[in-house]
Amino acid sequence: MRPAPRVAPGHPLVWRGGQREHTLPTLPSGHRALDRRLPGGGWPIGALTELQPARAGLGEFWLLLPALATITGQGGWCVLVNPPWLPYPPALRGHGIDLRRLLQVRTRNTAESLWACEQALRGARGGAVLAWPGQARDGAGFARLRRLQLAARDGRKSAFVFRAPGAARSSTPAPLCLGLDADDAGLRITILKCRGHHDTRPIHLRRPHDSATTATAPH
Amino acid sequence: MNGTWLAAVFPHLALDLATRDTAIDDQALAITEDMRGRPVVADCTATAEQLGVRVGMTVAAALAVASELVLCERQPGAEARALQRLAAWAYQFSGQVSLEPSTATLYLEIGGSRRLFGAPGPLREQLAHDLGVLGYRAMAGTAPTPAAARLAARQGLDIDSAEQLERYLARLPLAALGLEPSELRALRGMGFRHARELLRLPRPDLARRLGPALLERLDRLRGHRPDPRPPWRPPEHYRANLDLGTEVHEASGLVFPLQRMIREFCGVLRGGDHGVQSVDIELRLREGRQRLRLGLQAPGRDEARFMTLLRERLEHLQLSSPAVEITLQASRLLPFDAPATDLFGDSADIDSCLDPVLERLRARLGDDAVSGLGGVEEHRPEYSWRTPAPGADSPCPALPHRPAWLCQPPRPCVIADYQVLAGPERIETGWWDGRDCRRDYYVMRDPHGAALWVYREYKPAPGWYLHGIFG
Repeated sequence: MRPAPRVAPGHPLVWRGGQREHTLPTLPSGHRALDRRLPGGGWPIGALTELQPARAGLGEFWLLLPALATITGQGGWCVLVNPPWLPYPPALRGHGIDLRRLLQVRTRNTAESLWACEQALRGARGGAVLAWPGQARDGAGFARLRRLQLAARDGRKSAFVFRAPGAARSSTPAPLCLGLDADDAGLRITILKCRGHHDTRPIHLRRPHDSATTATAPH
Repeated sequence: MNGTWLAAVFPHLALDLATRDTAIDDQALAITEDMRGRPVVADCTATAEQLGVRVGMTVAAALAVASELVLCERQPGAEARALQRLAAWAYQFSGQVSLEPSTATLYLEIGGSRRLFGAPGPLREQLAHDLGVLGYRAMAGTAPTPAAARLAARQGLDIDSAEQLERYLARLPLAALGLEPSELRALRGMGFRHARELLRLPRPDLARRLGPALLERLDRLRGHRPDPRPPWRPPEHYRANLDLGTEVHEASGLVFPLQRMIREFCGVLRGGDHGVQSVDIELRLREGRQRLRLGLQAPGRDEARFMTLLRERLEHLQLSSPAVEITLQASRLLPFDAPATDLFGDSADIDSCLDPVLERLRARLGDDAVSGLGGVEEHRPEYSWRTPAPGADSPCPALPHRPAWLCQPPRPCVIADYQVLAGPERIETGWWDGRDCRRDYYVMRDPHGAALWVYREYKPAPGWYLHGIFG
């Protein structure tokens, strides 16, 4: 195959398949191996990110703790909508999170969770919203997630929605969608969707109790 | 004489109060009052007038021409209270407001607010318009003296100077000066027909013929003598009442009347430079009562903010029986600090930005649904966390090796398939408060790869329990 012609490199009208879009501002995730593979080098700001752990509790919350520490450290609010268990304050503090900037919202159903999430996204600028809208099959459909995506953009926030892995096959309005699984070596992250070209190989991260010999170091 | 007064006259106050919140515009309604022991029509709607009802008619005659006429007895108490509320509302335009219940008139000294609100004309128009939005028909006028402003209000005039006032008064018929009937009769008996004939007379003559009281009143009207008015003082609490007139079955039907009440209330708050942190709304139903409270994070007076909260509440409110009356009250009017905004309109303080969100979340999900997270120095994990108010500080220890999720309460588990990663860690405390325990904590991995925080309890209830997930 002939190499691409060397005309107009970086010309705004020429888009190359290998280019990644860097239009979204990002926030470093705090995991170097992950940042290297995420478009823009971190979690998107002003957009929805969907996380699909194979099972709840694999490390999807741990994955976000460094970002939450950064955000709360800058005075931004982090709102947790209907988390599956109690976010344990001493542990969060141990990860450098400013508890004064943490907010927990309890809801009764998926509709309320999505509503609360949107309200939180449309509120004060900056910060993050983490939502566990529940497992209802049609509860977090495309249209409702699309609202969250727009709200995140308007509020310039990072929105993280945790969904069941079954949702992987359905389309999502989130610009970034990650699948999470775990084995003895650690957390295995697959980029299911992102803007621009991406590498489909999984990313391995070593969680605090994973053995150091078999997994890639987080830093 | 160097003030400017605005007078707002409410010629249809009783009728406005009776009709302003019923959705029906074209109701044939008449206000009745007792005139020498007989009920007569004091005021009526345009629809009633088309049917032939006239002000001054006896009620019997009015019912004879319009059998479907709805009668409403005049309630002086309600009118006086409405005027008080209007005074409080008007306080946002002027620091000197006084009221005259006998003529249903408000007086505002606006000379001092000229720099803030501009020329009297536009301010008068805005005031009349805003009152119209609140459901009151007002006639307003401005003049150098309060008494002259009330005369000018009948024609919606702006009288700018003493000379203009003299010319204006000179053109008026005698009857328009607002004199006592006995004085008017006496003057007519002397052959006076126009105000200019009266005003042209030398003062000693006037005093001799008519007595000092009339002279004094004329002097006040023309600004030759000060006309002090008792200033109205803003109250420390607020209460407004609204009879819905009809039965409202759906909570959504309360939005419109409540919006008006809240708009009026916010005007009052602006007037007193006050804010409130909560508004209590009591609905009197056909059977029983229902109460709701709109709470703000910090003292506020923004109508839109209250309305957002209110809509949220009404959306989920079930009326157990139809509503007939609304009472809105706020007991503590607090000093209001306008939020500092930076160059781009963003609030400088990140906390205050979140306030409207907190309020909305609480209004719909309940007060307990939103909290902060904090901790206390305590060895037993299940007692070491708190849910303080959002933004509150807590003496939370930093324990990076503990799991990010806590299972609350701990639940029994089977550890057969689990692989031990770390442990044990002994936690043994609590003999002093009767919640004694002895446990060994382990970090274990389940077959799916999740790291769990599991403990073996020796006392009080031996067994294995799942207490946290490193998730």
